[in-house]
Amino acid sequence: MRALYKTALLVVVASLFTACFDKSAPNYQYFPNMYEPIPYETYGESTAFKNGKEGQLPAEGSIPRGFTPYEYENTNEGYELAKAELKSALDSTAIDIPRATQLYTIYCAICHGDKGDGKGGLVQKEKFLGVPSYKDREITEGSVFHVVTYGLNSMGSHANQLSQEERWQVAHYVLKLKSEL
Amino acid sequence: MSSHYEAPIRKPLIIGDKNYHDVTVDVARPVEGRANKQWWIAFSIALAAFLWGIGCVAYTVGTGIGTWGSNKTIGWAWDITNFVWWVGIGHAGTLISAVLLLFRQKWRMAINRSAEAMTIFSVIQAAMFPVFHMGRPWLAYWVMPIPNQFGSLWVNFNSPLLWDVFAISTYLSVSLVFWWTGLLPDFAMLRDRAITPFTKRVYSTLSFGWSGRAKDWQRFEEVSLVLAGLATPLVLSVHTIVSFDFATSVIPGWHTTILPPYFVAGAIFSGFAMVNTLLIIMRKVSNLEAYITIQHIELMNIVIMITGSIVGIAYITELFIAWYSGVEYEQYAFLNRATGPYWWSYLLMMTCNVVSPQVMWFKKIRTSIIASFIISLVVNIGMWFERFVIIVTSLHRDYLPSSWTMFQPTFIDAGFFIGTIGFFFVLFLLYSRSFPVIAQAEVKSIMKSSSETHKRIRDGIAHDTHSHPENH
Repeated sequence: MRALYKTALLVVVASLFTACFDKSAPNYQYFPNMYEPIPYETYGESTAFKNGKEGQLPAEGSIPRGFTPYEYENTNEGYELAKAELKSALDSTAIDIPRATQLYTIYCAICHGDKGDGKGGLVQKEKFLGVPSYKDREITEGSVFHVVTYGLNSMGSHANQLSQEERWQVAHYVLKLKSEL
Repeated sequence: MSSHYEAPIRKPLIIGDKNYHDVTVDVARPVEGRANKQWWIAFSIALAAFLWGIGCVAYTVGTGIGTWGSNKTIGWAWDITNFVWWVGIGHAGTLISAVLLLFRQKWRMAINRSAEAMTIFSVIQAAMFPVFHMGRPWLAYWVMPIPNQFGSLWVNFNSPLLWDVFAISTYLSVSLVFWWTGLLPDFAMLRDRAITPFTKRVYSTLSFGWSGRAKDWQRFEEVSLVLAGLATPLVLSVHTIVSFDFATSVIPGWHTTILPPYFVAGAIFSGFAMVNTLLIIMRKVSNLEAYITIQHIELMNIVIMITGSIVGIAYITELFIAWYSGVEYEQYAFLNRATGPYWWSYLLMMTCNVVSPQVMWFKKIRTSIIASFIISLVVNIGMWFERFVIIVTSLHRDYLPSSWTMFQPTFIDAGFFIGTIGFFFVLFLLYSRSFPVIAQAEVKSIMKSSSETHKRIRDGIAHDTHSHPENH
């Protein structure tokens, strides 16, 4: 009988010291005073906006400080024009090959391959095919910048990942890879 | 008996024809009897005040500290005033039971139990203010240096507010242990007299199986002495630490090195006044006039007079130093106390604390029960205003005139204070009906030296030696 009491006591004490929480749901909180944001956060949700998102689009045609709008259109003519006349915004001192290497490795190499030969990781695993080598294409710094900005055929726009300056760095690196193939 | 010598000038501490049994009966009577109507009335009033206080505190915690009259300039007002006031009141209990024990004062024995109860109950009141004056009292446990998941984020040990936490909690626990140890023989007495199974059960649990053997008594005495030795530095340090809340600041009027001893003196002053207030009533309603005699009241009045004079000297010292310092902020702080918008509180403090204890120089007044009672109340009002003056008048006018402002308490401020008074009396009234309010075991130990009966017997037997006191 005494042993039974002791066991029962142990169970009660153990359960008192055991927190109960569900791993598939957020845990309990003790007085969450400043846990939830009062201001609007970029990726938050709010009923104050029509689409429910706190990240709203800027007014069309507005230009933020430090930004130059890209003037070439996303058409074949635009592509040809950029290829022919668009020149790099970077002078020789601003070209930063180590950083460009990193950017290329992060955003481009998965398809185009580390060497630019069209044999990236996804191609080797045959997730999809048809990535050309830089050697086989006629490209200029202007055309690379244009393609990275708008995308071309299967390739999507990288303008939201890379800033204008970064795209120019990548363009220079792509030409360097092409010259090495 | 003939080997005993006690100076004939000493007046008896137990008056009337009392033997050991009478002491037991007298002490046990309030516990064993039934509460009368007056007790229930007093208890109901206290309980109502307590419940009202709970309401006010719940409202404060639920709504916010903004329900109080404190503002951006005067962040501390009634909350800390009442805290220091209650802590101060608590000090007399430890002083009576510890310091007077070290000084072998026999007159402490009839009053120490109630004085310690008063300590414990008032420290409980005091402890509520540091918690509920917090903006987020539910995070109060953060003041403890507990290992935690914030990279084991600890407290900063440089703040006197943290020292307060340690001081008050240690003070309460040591006082409680000291009090309870002393209660063991008395609970055992109640246990042995109990006639109902329920009271028997209760008092045998409370008395921890005390059987009063010689070894127990020997150890009991040693523990009491050690605890008294520990409690004495504690009682001095606790109010010192409380005074550090102010003394370590940079506020003119607060930043003074005199505060620690001056606060302690003030604490003893107000504490003894409170003991006097309570015991004057208790000796009457519990029929303990034979034990809490006019001599006890007179001696407490003398302590009040002495500590009141120390406080008076401190006031004058502060004024002198303010003038002598050449610091215009300090000078203005004291000019503001005397002539500023709170001049009336400074005047009340000065009158109640400096003038009122000085009337105790007259034997007629200090041996008058009614005068003692009135003065004890006046002293506690004065000591409340002392804390109010120190806190509010120093804050409401300091360095930047653009920050000068006034303080207006709200009814919530008052409600919290009234609630603690109610809670104090709830506890004290319950105590007076369930605890032995006089340490009968101790009182019995002075029966043969200091009771009126034995003094008379001794005088009768030793009449021959009496004419030759130089023999001793």
